Formats: sequence, C-alpha cells, structure tokens
Amino acid sequence: MSTNKTWFITGASKGFGLLFVQQLLAKGDYVAATSRRIADLETAAGTHPNFLPLEVDLTNEHSVASAINATVDKFGKLDVVVNNAGYGLLGTLEELSDAESRGNFEVNVFGLLNVIRHAMPHLRKQGSGHIFNISSIGGFTGNFPGFGIYCATKFAVAGLSESLAAEVKEFGINVTIVLPGYFRTSFLEAGSLAVPKNTIEAYKSTRESQEAHQKQINGNQAGDPEKGVAEIIKVADAPNPPLYLFLGSDAVSMAHTKIAAVDTEIAEWRSISVSTDF
Amino acid sequence: MQDNIIKTWFITGASKGLGLALVKQLLAAGQNVAATSRNINELTKAVGTATKNFLPLQVNLADDTSVKQAIEQTNTTFGSVDVLINNAGYGIGGSFEELTDAEIRTAFDVNVFGTINTIRHALPYMRQQQSGHIINISSIAGFSAATGWAPYAATKFAITGLTEVLADDVKSFGIKATVVAPGAFRTSFLTDDSLALPQTPIAAYADIRVSHERYLTMNGQQAGDPEKAAAVMIETGFNPNPPVHLFLGSDAYKRAVLKIESLTKEIESLKELTTSTDY
Repeated sequence: MSTNKTWFITGASKGFGLLFVQQLLAKGDYVAATSRRIADLETAAGTHPNFLPLEVDLTNEHSVASAINATVDKFGKLDVVVNNAGYGLLGTLEELSDAESRGNFEVNVFGLLNVIRHAMPHLRKQGSGHIFNISSIGGFTGNFPGFGIYCATKFAVAGLSESLAAEVKEFGINVTIVLPGYFRTSFLEAGSLAVPKNTIEAYKSTRESQEAHQKQINGNQAGDPEKGVAEIIKVADAPNPPLYLFLGSDAVSMAHTKIAAVDTEIAEWRSISVSTDF
Repeated sequence: MQDNIIKTWFITGASKGLGLALVKQLLAAGQNVAATSRNINELTKAVGTATKNFLPLQVNLADDTSVKQAIEQTNTTFGSVDVLINNAGYGIGGSFEELTDAEIRTAFDVNVFGTINTIRHALPYMRQQQSGHIINISSIAGFSAATGWAPYAATKFAITGLTEVLADDVKSFGIKATVVAPGAFRTSFLTDDSLALPQTPIAAYADIRVSHERYLTMNGQQAGDPEKAAAVMIETGFNPNPPVHLFLGSDAYKRAVLKIESLTKEIESLKELTTSTDY
C-alpha cells in the first residue's frame, strides 16, 4: 500500500512553497499547490503527473473551495495542508492606512482561514490529517520594529492554531504552527516585502529597520530554506508532531528572549495581577 | 489616585462592562473622559452623569473616518489625548468550519481593526505632545488560547503582537503601550450581548460544545471584579513605567505561567531539530 501523501500547499510559486512542491514530488507524494497566477506556478515548478497547479485567490472563499474540491477529485484524498501563503509588511500603525493594514490580514489570516474552513470537512471525514500553519518568529515576539501589522497577523495565526489543535484532535487531525526565523528566500525583496505608501520620517527606528532588512539582512539570512522545508516534511511523518515548531537557531534564541522578558514582567507585576479577584 | 493630574482619556466600548467601570471611576476622579459606543443614548444612559468633562461619542470603530473624527473632537474639547484605552470587543467561539468568512471578519473589524484605527489617529496627537499611553485590552486568550474560541484567540493574539511592536516603535516619542490580558471578570461578556456563537453548529465538534457549555455556566461566577480591574488600569495609565504585558486576575496569571512552562518544554525537546536548518 502506498504511504505517499496528498498535500495542499498555498503560495507555491516561490520560497518555502515552491521548495515544498519540489521536495514532495521528488519523494513521490501528490501535490496540489496554489498561486495567484497559475503561469508563475507552472514556470517555477514545471509539470508532473502527481502535480496539480491551481490558480487561487485565497481571499475568495469560492475560489478556495473549488481548489480543495479539485484536489480531492484528482487525488482521492487530502492528507496535509500547508498554509504557506503570506507576505511581510513593514510600516508603523500610524503610517499604514486602514486598507494597507487590512490587506495584510486578507492574505495572512483570512486566506488561511478560508483554506481551513474548506479542508476540514474532508479531513474530518477521513479521520486524519495534518494542518501546518506557517506563522513566523514574528508571530511569537514583537521585537521587530515597524512590523506591527505583520506581527499581528502572525500572532493571530499562532493563536488560532493553538485552539484549532485542541479542537480537531478528536478527529485524529494534527496542527503544527511553524515559526521560522530568517530564511534566505525572496521574503525581503522589494517585490515581496510591502511598505507604506506614506512614510513618516520621525519613525527613525522603523526606517532603520527597513534599511537593515532590505540592504543588510536580505541575502544574508542564516536559514537554509531547503533544510527548513525538509524538516517540516519530516514532522508530517512524526507520530506525535509538535504544536509549536520554531525553525532556525535565530528563532529559538528570539523565543527564549521573549519568554525571559515576559517571565520577568509577570514576576514583577504578580501582586497587581492577582489583586483583582473578588 | 493622582488627583492633581488631569489627563484626557479616550475609552472605546464604554456603555457596559469594563469600559463603563473605567468611565465612572475616571469621572469620579475628575478626569477628562471621551468615551465611545455604537449607540450614544445607551452610553449616556449607562454613565448617568452629564458633566462638562465627559464627552460621549457615537462611533463605528471599524470605520476609519468615524474614528478620526471622534479623536479630533476629543482633542478639540479637552486639548489633549493622553490615554487611549482600546476596550471595545466581543467574544466569538466555534470552529472555522462552522463560522462564515463574514462572521470572522466582523469580529476582526471590532476587536482588531477598530483598535488599529484608534491608534492610527491618536498617535499624531501623542507624538506632538511627546507623551501618551496606549492601553490595549486583549485577553488571557490573547496569550494562551482555549478550546472552542479559536477566532477570538486570533483577534486577541493579534492585539498582543501589535502592542509589543508598538511599545518599541513609539518609545522615542515618550509614548507607552501596554497590552492588558484579563482572565474571567464578572461582566456581561458571557451573555448573548457580548458573545457570538455559530448560527449553524456542526454536532461532530463535541469538544467545542463541551467547552462552550463550561464557559457559559461560569457566567455570574467569574472570579474577577471589574471595578478592581478598572482601578488597576487607571493606575497603569498614571504609571510612568508601565509594563508591556499586564495579566489581570489570578486565573490569567496561572494560565500565563502554565503556557510559558509547556512551551519552554516543547522548545527544549525540539532543540536539535529547530537549530538544524541554518546553512
């Protein structure tokens, strides 16, 4: 009996998403993958009998529903969902317009929820499945100047995944939040990282953060995306997969820093915190 | 309270619960208070006293322009915007399969985008003043999520995340930011008035139904006293060195400590895997 799995990967025309497609096809698994433009996906990933490229607008529920149905129609099942699509947004809350802020939630949060909403009936029916939600180390610590909205979207993904994991356990479905540190993808390239239309010069730390991310960090990230994706694929085979999967030594170190900071604050304010009961 | 210092407070969702307790305590202390509600009549009726240092405002928080006007009016009336308390919000439970895209977005409109709107429009005044404090009311569910409340956790985690970044981004202007994470407080939060549950539940989600049942029976017996919570938040608004995270209630405190413990363990157990992906 074949143990090859069927995967549904969003945002697959580049970065982690594309590497998933390539590594999984090489492994003999079945892969449905989405992109806003199917041509980008086909150019990047080529063609393969086990590959179903799909043009999907993740913010459109109907578009998502038909993509998932097409996947199940073609491969007969759906084992692993990887919510990978998303983009970075670097700007302060004052600089970003309501539309710019909402735009980041559209893809990073509402798109992901559309996929979960329409994948769940299939996974429940099977009594098995694994959902990987790609958050970010910025979904655990806000120590990223100017990334307020982006961190909000990635924190949201972490939070909803915590609940989701508990809620779908009874159906035999696993949930893992992936929190990568800096990986050498095109994430910080001008075409990928969005910035405000109207910047305010007074936000010096944000402008410096933008300069650092675009000029120094971009291209020098410590994380190898090939290895990152390979580890996630391994986790999909683990009998007891983790809920929180930090990826990269930088992510682990930043997670420790965050935990230490909150620990200190909790201890410092303990007497106030427990003073509000009746 | 520091009654010789008069600040201007802007409080959202003030017609009941924690918001109303804040308004009443602040007015009793002679502070300037601008407060918002979807319905101005409900707000003025709930607050009861009409004094010149109270500015009730009818605001649709999801509407950028409505928020901008309300904050402008606050500054025109009182001459400053000192402490912004983002309190408006409601609970939403259920699985994503049961809730529609529209139901989720409406929750984000109030719990997240409303908060971002007030921050966007308060900051120009605060930066000009070179002072101010933004207090965002999240929830313990914004730090440690519970079964059955995934969409609520999503909105409240978002608030936690953006407040952490905000605290750093505005520090150089003399502006502070705090995210408050209350546990269960005895307000109307667990009633139909403040809680949205799926219109079309799916019976198979047994664990979610059990969790909701458990929460709803807690209504009226929550350990937290909203008056005390409001008092602590007001003190925090006067504190020159406020925390970034403030957990409120012994239940919230315990859940935060537990979350940190379990996560620390998970990180430790995966250390080899997670650090193996560098070049």
